[in-house]
Amino acid sequence: MTTSANEVVRVLARTTSDPGAHARSKGRLFGPFLAPALVLYVAILVLPTLATVALSFTDWSGAGDRPRFNGVDNYRALLKSFPDGAFAHSFVNTLIYVVVGGLGTFLLAFLFAMVLRDMRGSKTIRAILFFPNIVAPLALGMFFGFVFKAPDGLANNMLALIGLDWVKFLSADVVTWVAMSGIVWASAGFYITIIMSAIDRVPAYLYEDAAIAGATAWQKFRNITLPLTWDVVGIAGVLWTISAVKIFELVWVLAGPGSYSPPVGSWTLGVMVFDRTFGGRGTPQYGVACAVAVVMIVLVLLFVVLLRRLMRRDSVQF
Amino acid sequence: MTIETTPADGYQHGAAAATTSVVTSRRPSGRTSTAKPRPAPGTEGFSLVRLVGMGVIWIFTAFNCFILYWLLVSSLKTPREIFGSPFGLPHDLFAVGRPLRNWATAWLTSGFGTAFLNTVFVVAVSCVLLVAIGAPAAYALSRLAGARLGGALTTFFVVGLGVPFQTLIIPLFVAMSSMGMVDSLLGLVVVYVALSLPFTVFLLTGFFVSLPDEIEEAAAIDGLGPARTFLTVMLPLARGGVITCVTLNAIGLWNETLLSIVLLRDDSQFTMARALFTFYQTMQYNSDYGALLAGVAIVVLPMFVLYLFLARRIIEGLTLGSGK
Repeated sequence: MTTSANEVVRVLARTTSDPGAHARSKGRLFGPFLAPALVLYVAILVLPTLATVALSFTDWSGAGDRPRFNGVDNYRALLKSFPDGAFAHSFVNTLIYVVVGGLGTFLLAFLFAMVLRDMRGSKTIRAILFFPNIVAPLALGMFFGFVFKAPDGLANNMLALIGLDWVKFLSADVVTWVAMSGIVWASAGFYITIIMSAIDRVPAYLYEDAAIAGATAWQKFRNITLPLTWDVVGIAGVLWTISAVKIFELVWVLAGPGSYSPPVGSWTLGVMVFDRTFGGRGTPQYGVACAVAVVMIVLVLLFVVLLRRLMRRDSVQF
Repeated sequence: MTIETTPADGYQHGAAAATTSVVTSRRPSGRTSTAKPRPAPGTEGFSLVRLVGMGVIWIFTAFNCFILYWLLVSSLKTPREIFGSPFGLPHDLFAVGRPLRNWATAWLTSGFGTAFLNTVFVVAVSCVLLVAIGAPAAYALSRLAGARLGGALTTFFVVGLGVPFQTLIIPLFVAMSSMGMVDSLLGLVVVYVALSLPFTVFLLTGFFVSLPDEIEEAAAIDGLGPARTFLTVMLPLARGGVITCVTLNAIGLWNETLLSIVLLRDDSQFTMARALFTFYQTMQYNSDYGALLAGVAIVVLPMFVLYLFLARRIIEGLTLGSGK
């Protein structure tokens, strides 16, 4: 692979630039410089991913067992779990995290970015808002566990201060929404930073022209700010999707006891893969876990393609 | 009120569906401000919606500061105090003369001391290897290859960003156990380096592309070979990018949980996140919440200190990485 790549470069170097010794030695360097990274990447990321895809078509209960090809049985079983099985809950919850959580995060990020733009001390505030992003999701999950503990956690203490009754925040039917608000709060700073940098690049004269033409502030946002930051919003959307699809440890510790899986109603796809592999409830089902993992990848792919299509249509050069 | 602030207000007006009166009343001042010099930030005219927005931001900011305070203070409290007086200062443990009891429990009995050293080792070695392997690769992709081949291979690497780690755990676990690499910190390092390559290549190719061609040509004219040009000229010029890249990877690896759970079984080899995960599981038998919070603080504080020093760089790096 690398030797042929090497040759291509050598040919390119010969035809495009002057065929001097320098260009040739540059080409010779390409292989050694790239090879270690390429080998590691293929061996530890690409091949295992392909192996997972292959294993998703097998029946395999893990150590001591051999994978047996069973066609699309695993996928059929996943489909059959609708409307109320483990996979159905995991799939729907993951979609909720990606879509509703994404909308919430981006709404918050846009609002904050625009108000923060000309606020005193905005650099400091931005740094403080960014802070939760450097905390381990596991630690965040434990922290939320304290905050939303019933009946004597911090949130319920605050409710008591204003004279309200305590709420069971961490029961299986509401914990998804609690976890989601936590994640939105924690990741807002990241997207504020990215979106602010995009808004800062929009030239001010566009707003001046719009003002002279009598545009309302909403029109300015809709017709100037949004189209001109669309590219970056698209990239940020891809990043959000990638991080939201793999949500695992935060839900694991927030919704459950930690040593075994939380109630099925709170599962995400990430939780389900882990449960079917190491969860400790019954025998492991590696084949099923692989099928769920493939669904995760497909979900990422789907959203990325969708977002890119949206982006391309509205992208504006300036 | 300058023109620049209006879109922010407008968005909120739009959301609040109360646009017309406020916006029309401001339009004349929008025109005149082109003639006036722009006032200093934060001193523009008064607007209710803007005020509400700023209020929300201040509440958010204050809340973030409060949780850090709460975490530190609670790690010095008894469980009764943590839930009984969540806002107050610690008292009970100070009264019995053992203010650091929770921290000592977490560090010594629960193995966070060993885990801390293990994590520092894993993160440090991973970051060094990552630069040693990732920087030349990024350089090769952005400057040594033709645009077509370089671009295609860069995309091949960057696609890896979209692969959730859950997809890898079964093949990795099976392969590593058959090679006897489970419970090996070096095995974990190799996996971490490989899985951090997509982001590293993504960020560093961006930096190398932005360097002007003339520098490389000048080095060539001065008689430097390509390898030395990379080491003594280009890499130092991309130093900012390398530091940002190391910082972001270090934070990510320090906090990495899933793979450390899968690949580390023996508690003498635990990393911090792994140790915290196990420590949390024992909570259902002994409710030592103070020690748990001390454990959380031990995981969070080193990153917080790093962040204090490098916040600007981290934010800059993100801005650049998503720039175009």
